[in-house]
Amino acid sequence: MNIFISGGCKNGKSYYAQRRAKEMAESLGVPLYYIATMIPHDDEDRARIKRHISEREGWGFETIEQGLALTEILHNDDVDKNGVFLMDSVTALLDNEMFDEKGNIDEAAPERVKRDVLDFAAGTGNTVFVSDYIYGDAGYYSETVEGYRRGLAAADRALTEVCEEVIEIAYGTEERWK
Amino acid sequence: MKLIFGGAYQGKLEYAEKNYDIKTVFDCGAGATPEAPGTEPDFGKDAVCALEKFVLKCVRDGVEAADYFKENKEKWQDKVLILTDVSQGIVPMDAELRAFREMNGRLMLYLAAEADEVVRVFCGIGKRVK
Repeated sequence: MNIFISGGCKNGKSYYAQRRAKEMAESLGVPLYYIATMIPHDDEDRARIKRHISEREGWGFETIEQGLALTEILHNDDVDKNGVFLMDSVTALLDNEMFDEKGNIDEAAPERVKRDVLDFAAGTGNTVFVSDYIYGDAGYYSETVEGYRRGLAAADRALTEVCEEVIEIAYGTEERWK
Repeated sequence: MKLIFGGAYQGKLEYAEKNYDIKTVFDCGAGATPEAPGTEPDFGKDAVCALEKFVLKCVRDGVEAADYFKENKEKWQDKVLILTDVSQGIVPMDAELRAFREMNGRLMLYLAAEADEVVRVFCGIGKRVK
């Protein structure tokens, strides 16, 4: 079963997603994978990654480093495609695909990421996708930032169409949308 | 009146068009830019979307958006009204945007109280909350 989880920052999405992925892998008796999407750029990122790793300790995840080109995992012979995948997060994947360290912007990234997450959902059938609800701001943003928000929303909406469950996490509580 | 709300890019208008009998839509945000806010609704259409852009105009004009709706109450009784919820996220640094965020919230409260149906749209999925 594919599951889509979103909500605000620091609301407990990752913890909830880890729990659901672990339960699914245990009930199916298949391997449990964590797709690490964050590409560290500085010490703050490295500290965050260290915290994430320690939070996952003892859960039984095998980590796959994949900050770009998500569907490469589907062609990796070391990965059991019948396993359960925790993909955290669509937000970071689009960020990596759209912006590079030199400040270049790839405008084709939103369409590519949307296709990749859909292919990944279809290719695995047991993925828990985590995204971020970044659509409730009152500010004006540049066209680049709006392009990113629009692109993430398009990927989110494509995923909610194909995922069997859609869940919003708000302050640790669970709102079931599908 | 039916009220549809949700965050930006969530598919509110698509949801409304799929679930209600809407033949004509007035977009308050058509042609709007940060410099030029939205326009006053034309209630001659079945639905009015991007009401938050009109709220920004109200802030600039010194008008309370909810008062405008109270004064024009008979015009929108059978309409579908769509607006973006901008109440989450960071409190804006800009005073005008702070006023906009709060005025939009007051309008939502008023319209939600008046509506026969209120639907929140999340990632393309609607859920009736009233």
